[in-house]
Amino acid sequence: MTDTPVKTSAQFVLPTSLVSRVDISRLVGEFEQVDNDLTAAAVRAKAGVEQQTKPVLSQPLADFLAENNLSIETSRDRNELITELRTLKDTAPILHMTFAVTADRDSLQTLTKWVRESIHPQAVIDVGLQPALVAGVYLRTPNHIHDLSLRAALKGQHAVLVEELESLRGSK
Amino acid sequence: MGFFHKQDAHKNMTAEEAADIEEHFFDENFREELRNHGRWYFEKVINKNADLFKKDLDATISQVNTELKDHVTQQLDAAITDINTELKERVTNQLDHQLAEYSKVLKDAQDSALQSITRSAQTLQEQHQQLAAELQKSIADQKTQLNGVFESNKAQIQTMNDSQASALQWLAQSTHAMQEQHDQLKKMLEEDVKAQESTLVEGFESNMAQVIEHYLLGALGDQYDLKAQLPAIIQQMEANKQAIVDDMKL
Repeated sequence: MTDTPVKTSAQFVLPTSLVSRVDISRLVGEFEQVDNDLTAAAVRAKAGVEQQTKPVLSQPLADFLAENNLSIETSRDRNELITELRTLKDTAPILHMTFAVTADRDSLQTLTKWVRESIHPQAVIDVGLQPALVAGVYLRTPNHIHDLSLRAALKGQHAVLVEELESLRGSK
Repeated sequence: MGFFHKQDAHKNMTAEEAADIEEHFFDENFREELRNHGRWYFEKVINKNADLFKKDLDATISQVNTELKDHVTQQLDAAITDINTELKERVTNQLDHQLAEYSKVLKDAQDSALQSITRSAQTLQEQHQQLAAELQKSIADQKTQLNGVFESNKAQIQTMNDSQASALQWLAQSTHAMQEQHDQLKKMLEEDVKAQESTLVEGFESNMAQVIEHYLLGALGDQYDLKAQLPAIIQQMEANKQAIVDDMKL
């Protein structure tokens, strides 16, 4: 952990392990718990109690701190970070993506990576499930819907299919 | 009888002596033998006489039987002859009497029947004459009526012939009109059938398209997990990338 000034929420780089807003909420909660533990440890140290070991961090939190070069040594840094994380949780743009099958973690991380590289660096994904889509994704942005499912593709090709059948009948 | 001769020889003997001798001579055995001898002799005589009597009796009965039979036969023949003669005469008389009565009754009945037949024949002849007159009258009336009916029917037949000609003419016109209508209907029906066929085929194609879609959706739905779909999803998102970015910036 380097001793660098705390970034604002807009400057945060999110690791791919943080996919959804729930993950950010969980990250905030975990970080608050870490803050409490470190504060309590500092108080105990001042009181002469034996020094506690460093708190164990989850992989997303560790990735987040590492990718953003954040310091959590001081109570002030942690408080500022908590504030920024809460802001990030509330302001991070959300892409609602509905799939036809259950989304596995690796695929979601791959998608998250593409979204943050191509769309927005702090975008998160809200995942849904709709088997009727058959395949593809039903994407909902704040103001638009992009039906990229196979069902929509076939529905658009219905007239083409009828034309094909008519041409087949005509050829016979 | 030697005993009596001896009695004469000894007539000088006393009664007591005689009794003693007799008792001495006729002892119990001798008496018994005499009784047996007498019994045998008596039975012999009786049997002999019985045989003789029996023979005489049989001969007598046979003779009496023969005579009685002859006598009875003669008596019966005579009686039967008499009875036959009397019965014949009596039956003959009664039959003659009854035949005379029957002849009389029959003659009366014949006379009566003859009179009745005569009267019936007379009545029948009168009725026959009456019926013949009525029949002639009826035939004359019917002839008159038939003439009238014939004339009337003749006029009606003429009218019917005219009507039939008109009907035939109308029927020919109707047939022609029917033929035209039939042609029109046939044409309309063919057009309608073609239109319905086209509609059905279009419906079938539309339904078939839905069936194919449904089949594809069902068949492909279980084939790919998200990892397999990722390249296609990213490719499509890449195609819509600008629209998404613009929307996120708003």
